[in-house]
Amino acid sequence: MNPSVDDRLASIIRSLTDIILPALPGEAGLAQEQTHLAIGHLKIIRAQLDSLPAFEIEELADTRALAAALLSKAAGGTATRSAVDAVRTALEQDGGDEHQRQSRIRINRAIDELIRQLAVDGTADFRAFAADTVVRMQGERALKDRKWFALMGFDSDILKSC
Amino acid sequence: MSITPILEMEPALQDLFAVRGARRAAPPYSARKTEDIISALTRFFATRMPGATPENVSRMGGGASKEQFVFTLNERGGSANRFVLRMDPLEAITETDRNREFQVLAAVQGVVPAPKPRWMDADGEFFGRPAAIMEFVAGVTKPSGAGVKVSGLGTWLGEPLRSRLRKPFLENLVALHALDWRALNLPRFTAPTADPKQAARWSLNYWRQLWREDALEPLPIMTHAEQWLIDNMPDCRELVLAHGDYRTGNYLFDEASGTIEAMLDWELARIGDFHEDLGWILMQVFGTFDNGVFRASDLYEREEFIQAYEAATGRKVHRKTLHYYDVFSSWKCYVIVNGTGMSVARAQHNHQDVLLTFLGATGAMFSADICRLLKQGVPE
Repeated sequence: MNPSVDDRLASIIRSLTDIILPALPGEAGLAQEQTHLAIGHLKIIRAQLDSLPAFEIEELADTRALAAALLSKAAGGTATRSAVDAVRTALEQDGGDEHQRQSRIRINRAIDELIRQLAVDGTADFRAFAADTVVRMQGERALKDRKWFALMGFDSDILKSC
Repeated sequence: MSITPILEMEPALQDLFAVRGARRAAPPYSARKTEDIISALTRFFATRMPGATPENVSRMGGGASKEQFVFTLNERGGSANRFVLRMDPLEAITETDRNREFQVLAAVQGVVPAPKPRWMDADGEFFGRPAAIMEFVAGVTKPSGAGVKVSGLGTWLGEPLRSRLRKPFLENLVALHALDWRALNLPRFTAPTADPKQAARWSLNYWRQLWREDALEPLPIMTHAEQWLIDNMPDCRELVLAHGDYRTGNYLFDEASGTIEAMLDWELARIGDFHEDLGWILMQVFGTFDNGVFRASDLYEREEFIQAYEAATGRKVHRKTLHYYDVFSSWKCYVIVNGTGMSVARAQHNHQDVLLTFLGATGAMFSADICRLLKQGVPE
């Protein structure tokens, strides 16, 4: 049996909490502060660990959905059309062994360029559609991300809904 | 690393971008050791105040930006006073200028409670990095029972503190915005007077430049919001000396009396639109929700604060302009935590990388806020 990531993280957290933190001198404020943060980080990572693959797959799916939605109504001049082609290529590209994270970034880069170029010569209808679509779909994505990081404790609103 | 040409912005801030590229390629930064600081302070005061000796040097906690140490300076005449050394790490979550901070602190003395700046090592000759020394001010940034909160996010003041701090919080802002910046000695500051949109443009371009240089990956809503901010820049009707980071968490108060002893963190101060300060103060992340009711800095409900500011200053708060700076503030926060903060942590150029990556998780709150605000549009 191999030691699981969860067991290893749990033992690191215990070591930091029970051995290292109490051994720090009282005047070592920065070290104490950072040890607390490291413990907090690790606890949250531990809680997220099993859900991480599904989370990253969903992140990529949401990015692909945004790209597809934008392509469905894209219209404009040369700059917009060229950026549209780049989004289409990014969507159709076989990422091979590429991790979902890299695929998401690659497609987001193409979307990013499309948003910039449609300001140059996108049609008024497409600009309005893109604005609504980006705000709506990124708002939905942000809600998922807020829930993902709810355990960090910054976001009192989202904590109540989890 | 620096992308040229640098966008149009206040000249002193352009200077910062001109030199930051070289730092980005530097090896990881190590937190300064107390013994090194003692040695640097000793050498520094040997030139500035011969006979004075620093002692009781200790690192200060809190903050997410600068290295800070508190120390006692024993002076020749027998007096002993406490000071704070505030110095740049290699890179920080914000890119700012110790010289500007020093000048603005000096300029507001007697108007707004603020630490008195005493000495500068602008080029890092003694401390290795630019540093400023100011008089120590006693006080706390959050109630002692508030628990562990990062950098003033959502600090709950509660009663009776809330009632006591409300008035000075507003009065200090009003006093700051009433200053005649033309009459102040602020040589590192330039007023955006070329055209009515220059104030908004300079502020926006400073953060756009940071986002260009620091974004680790694009986010469509950030790109869309940036374009919206470019397309909707408001005219500035009245320029003020703006604090840039005015909120609970950035002032020291006396817990027993509820008096504000000093406004802190002046590094983002600029001459700009007063709506920019208001938009920042009214950000949800720096406030609290109490049974669904939002309080900015846990002190004022949104509309209540706007009306109190209008009554105290005689100014009209333009809702469309405020909406612009609401969006801008959330967009800027995303640049800070997910652009500069995360890229500095990845480069290992700060003494608090673990804090910076922790703060990076707040990004979704800001992107959500941008979506909410853009969807909502300008309130009627």
